[in-house]
Amino acid sequence: MFIKALLIAIWAGITGIDLYDGLTHIHRPVVTGLVVGVILGDVQTGLIAGGMLELVWMGMVPLAGAQPPNVVIGGIIGTAFAILTKQEPNVAVGIAVPFAIAAQAGITLLFTVFSPVMHKADRYAEEANLKGIDKINYLGMGILFVSYFIVAFLPIYFGADTAQSVVGKLPETFIAGLSVAGGIMPAVGFAMLLKIMLKKEYVAFLLLGFVLVTYLNLPILAVAILGTAIALYDFYTNKGKGDDSGKEVISDGI
Amino acid sequence: MAYNMTEVDNNNFQDKSTDETLTKKDLNKMAFRSLFLQASFNYERMQSAGWLFSMSPGLAKIHKNKKDLSKSMKMHMEFFNTHPFLVTFIMGIVAAMEEKKKDLQTIRGIKVATMGPLGGIGDALFWLTLLPICAGIGASLAIEGSVAGPILFLVIFNIVHFGLRFGLMHYGYKTGVSAIATLKENTKYLSHGASILGLSVVGALIASYIKLSTPLVINAGEASVALQEGVLDKIMPNLLPLGYTLLMYWLLKRGWSPVKLIGITVVLGVVGKYIGIL
Repeated sequence: MFIKALLIAIWAGITGIDLYDGLTHIHRPVVTGLVVGVILGDVQTGLIAGGMLELVWMGMVPLAGAQPPNVVIGGIIGTAFAILTKQEPNVAVGIAVPFAIAAQAGITLLFTVFSPVMHKADRYAEEANLKGIDKINYLGMGILFVSYFIVAFLPIYFGADTAQSVVGKLPETFIAGLSVAGGIMPAVGFAMLLKIMLKKEYVAFLLLGFVLVTYLNLPILAVAILGTAIALYDFYTNKGKGDDSGKEVISDGI
Repeated sequence: MAYNMTEVDNNNFQDKSTDETLTKKDLNKMAFRSLFLQASFNYERMQSAGWLFSMSPGLAKIHKNKKDLSKSMKMHMEFFNTHPFLVTFIMGIVAAMEEKKKDLQTIRGIKVATMGPLGGIGDALFWLTLLPICAGIGASLAIEGSVAGPILFLVIFNIVHFGLRFGLMHYGYKTGVSAIATLKENTKYLSHGASILGLSVVGALIASYIKLSTPLVINAGEASVALQEGVLDKIMPNLLPLGYTLLMYWLLKRGWSPVKLIGITVVLGVVGKYIGIL
C-alpha cells in the first residue's frame, strides 16, 4: 500500500503542476481515473469513477477570479476511495468534494504567500538576472508539487483503511443516498456552464442538444458533430454579411 | 518605481540597433516556456514572473546591453494576467516590438490593452467550449469502461491546445500590432459559433448524464400509477434532470455559490433516499 500511495502522490504532484502549468489536461478526472485505476489494479472502476467525476467538474474551471473545488485532488481522492472502499463510483463523488474544497483553500493560501517573492524578482530584474527569474518559477512549481504530493499521500495512505471501516458502519440507505446525490451532481457543473454561456439567442441550441439525446438517443459525439456543422454554417454566413467595413477578414485558424 | 535623476531616459532603450532577429527556433523556445506562465502565480502580480520567464530567451538575444535588459525586465515584472493558452499571441507581438526597440511605454500599452480581451476570449473558447466538448466525449466513453475515453480526450484537446499555442506565437510575431485588429474582428463570429456548439453539447450532456428519477407510486383507489413511468416520462423523458439543472442555474444566477449547491445536492440525495422519494 505504501508504494501505491507513493505512486498516486507522485501523480498528484505532476498533475497539480499541470493544472496551472503545462495545461495538457492530464489533471482532469477522466485521465486521472485511468491512472489511479492502473496503480490500484482496478482499471474498470477507475475509468467509471473518473468519468463520473469529470462530469461533476465540467463547469468548474479556473475562470478569472473564481476558485472552484480543486479538480486534481477531487479526481484522485475520489477515484482512489471508490476503488479502495469498494463502493459504487457514484459514491466517490460525495467523498471527493470535501477534500477538493479543502485543497483549493490551501492553493489560495499558497498564491497569497507567494506574493512577497515578487519583490525578489524585482531585484533580479534590476540586476538583469534572467537566471534568477528562472529560479523563482522553478521554486513555484516545486512548492506546488510538494503540496499536492502531501495532500494526496496522507488521506490515501492513512485514510483508506479508516474510510473503509467507517463506510462499512454507515447505514446502507445513507450510502445509497450518497450514490443518488452523485448521480444528480453533474447538474451543478452543467448549471455553471449555463450561467456563463447561456444567452437568449443560444437557448435554441441547448434545447436541440437535449432533444437529440432524449428522444433520438444520439451519442454525445454525434451531437458535437451536428453542433459543429451548425456553428460552421453560422460562422461563414455571418462573416460575409455582418462586415460593414467591406474588408474581408481572413480566418487564421484561431 | 523610484524615479532616478541620473537615469536620463527610462522610456527608451539605449542601444537602438535592430541587428538581432529572432529565429523560428527562438519563437518556439518561448512558446514552449509559455507552458509555465503560471509557475509563480500569486495574487500580487499574477502571471508577471511567469510571463518574464516565457519571454526570457527572446529578451536575452535582443538586449545585449545590460541596462536595456534590466529596463525591459522591470517592465515585464509589472502586473500581468491573461488566458494561459492565448498568451503566445501577445508574446509574439511584444517580441516583435522589443526586437524593433520600440519605446517601453508603447510595449506596456500593448500588453495592457490585449491581456484583458484575450482573457475573456480564451475563457469562452477553451474553458467553456473546447473543454466541455472533449471532456463530455471522453467521460461518456470512460463511463462505459473504455480506455479510449481518456486517450481521445487528451488527443483532441491537445491538438487544439498546442496548435494554437505555437501557431499564435508565430502569427503574433509576423503580423505584429496589426494582428490585434484582425483578431478582434474574428472574435465576434468565432465566439458566436463556439457558443452554438458548446450549448448543443451541454444540452446533450444534461440529457445523458444526470441520473434523477423517482420510485414513487401514486395510489388512487384501486389503480396505482408509477410517477416516473406513468406520469413524468409521459410528459417528457429527462424532465427531472432538465428541471434540476435549470433550478441550479437559477440559484447560481441569484448568487448562490457552487459549493453550497453541491452541499444541497448531497443532502437532497440522502434525505430523498430516506423518505423514499428518490
